[in-house]
Amino acid sequence: MLAIDKFCYTSKLRYVNASEKFALSIVTLLICIAAQSFVISAAVMAVMGVLTVRKGGLPFARYRKMMFWPLGFLILSTLAIVVNLSRTPLDLFAFPVGGWYLTGSAAGALRAGRLIVTALSGVSCLYFLSLSTPMTDILTVLGRCRCPKLIIELMLLIYRFIFVLLDIASAMTTAQNARLGNKDFRTAYHSFGQMASALLVRALKKSNALYDAMEARCYDGTIRVLKEDYPPKPGEIAAIVVFELILLILFAGRLTGWVM
Amino acid sequence: MKKREKRWVALAAVFALVFGIAPAANAMHIMEGYLPVQFCAIWGVICVPFLAAGFFSIRKTINEHRKTMILLAMSGAFIFVISSLKIPSVTGSCSHMTGTGLGALLFGPSAVSILGIIVLLFQAILLAHGGLTTLGANTFSMAIAGPFVSYGIYWILKRCRVNRRVSIFLAAALGDLFTYCVTSFQLAICYPSEAGGIGASLVKFLGVFAPTQIPLAVIEGLITVVIMIGLESYARPELRELRFVEGDR
Repeated sequence: MLAIDKFCYTSKLRYVNASEKFALSIVTLLICIAAQSFVISAAVMAVMGVLTVRKGGLPFARYRKMMFWPLGFLILSTLAIVVNLSRTPLDLFAFPVGGWYLTGSAAGALRAGRLIVTALSGVSCLYFLSLSTPMTDILTVLGRCRCPKLIIELMLLIYRFIFVLLDIASAMTTAQNARLGNKDFRTAYHSFGQMASALLVRALKKSNALYDAMEARCYDGTIRVLKEDYPPKPGEIAAIVVFELILLILFAGRLTGWVM
Repeated sequence: MKKREKRWVALAAVFALVFGIAPAANAMHIMEGYLPVQFCAIWGVICVPFLAAGFFSIRKTINEHRKTMILLAMSGAFIFVISSLKIPSVTGSCSHMTGTGLGALLFGPSAVSILGIIVLLFQAILLAHGGLTTLGANTFSMAIAGPFVSYGIYWILKRCRVNRRVSIFLAAALGDLFTYCVTSFQLAICYPSEAGGIGASLVKFLGVFAPTQIPLAVIEGLITVVIMIGLESYARPELRELRFVEGDR
C-alpha cells in the first residue's frame, strides 16, 4: 500500500488542527525557497524533522530512508548544473577531455549546494504535511481556501478509488506472478499491459455499479461526510507565528547579506 | 597512483554512481524546492488557461450527465495507480510509467489536464514524487504538453492511415519524450550554464536524464500498445462510453 498514507493515519499529530499544519508547512516552504539559504534550510530541516519524528512518532530510520527517495533526481540534475563542457577551464576544477574541458566554477558549486539544501528542506516541509495530515483533512482545508467544489469532490472520489484500484491491481499481479507472468522482460511487460487493461475494465464496471448505488441513495453531486473539527490551540498558533517570524528575520538577513 | 590516474578513477566512480542510481529514478518529476519562486509562479500561471478550459468542459459534461463524475474519478484513480506501480525494466530496477500518453488517448487532452493536476498533487503528497511548489511546472510538462503532443501525433497518424499499433506506440513514446524535453527546458531556463547559457544547460539536462528517460519512453510506448490492444479486443463498449467524457472525438 502507500507508505505515507499509512503513516499519516498513525501519526501523533493527526488530531492537531489541519489548517495549522497546512499553513505551517506551506509558509515555511515558500520562505525556504525564496531565501535559498544554508542557515534557513538547516533550521527548517531540523524543526520539520523533529516535528515529524519526535512529535509525530515516525521511526527515524524510516524518515531517513524517505529523505533519500528523491536522491536520484537531486544527484543527476545537480550534476548537470555543476559540470560544464567548455573550451576554457573554470576556476574550481577542470578535466581535459579531447580539446574540451569538463569544468565547474566555485560560484556554480556554491549555488548547487544552496539548491541541494533548499530542495531537501522543501521535501522535509512536504513530509511534515503529508506524514501528519490525512488526505481528507487536506481536502477540507483546500475547500476552505475556495478551491472549486467540483474539484474537491473529484479529488475525494479519486482518493477513495485509488485504494480500490490498488487492491485489484495487487491481486492481479499476485495471480500473474503465481503463473510465471514475470519470468522475463517480454512476459513481464506483456502481463503489465494486460493487467492495466483489465484494471481499466474493472474500474469502469465498478464505477457503473457505484453510480447506481449512489443514485439509489439520493446522490446529488456532493458527498456529505461528518467533519470532525479539532479547534486550533492558541499555544500552537503562537509557536507557529514565532517560528515564521524567526524565519522572516533570517530571510531579511539573507537579503542584506549577513546570513549565508 | 599518479595524479592523472587518480582523476580517471574519480571520474569512473562518478559515472558508476550516476548510472547505478539512475535506473531507480522515476518519471521526471521536478522535486520539491528545486525551482526558484518566480519560476514556480510563472509555470503555475501558464497552466491556468488550460486548467480553466478543462474545468469548464468537465463541468459542462457533469451537469449534463452526473455519471461522468464517477467515470472521471475512476479515470483519475486509474492514471494514479498505473503511474505508481513498478513497471518491468530491462535492468531489473524500479521505474514508473507517466501514463500521460495513455490518459490522452483514452480520455482526451482537455480532461487529462484537470485529472493530471489532481494526480500530480496526490503523487506529491502520497508518494513524494514531485512537490507542491513545483506543481505548476510539473503540471505543464506532464499534464498539458505531453498529452497534447500524444493526442496530436495520434490524430495525425490516424489521418495518414498508419498502422494502429505503430501510431499508439509513437503517440505514447513521443509524448513521453516531449515531457522529458519540456522538463529539461524548465530546468535549463532556471539554471543557465556559466559557459554557454540556456542552450548549453538544456543540452546538459537532456544528456543527464537521457539514460533513464529514453528507455522509459520506449517501454511506456510498448505497454501502452498492449493496454490499448487489450481494451479494444474485449472492452469496446467501455471505450465507447469513455468517449463522451471528451465529446468532440
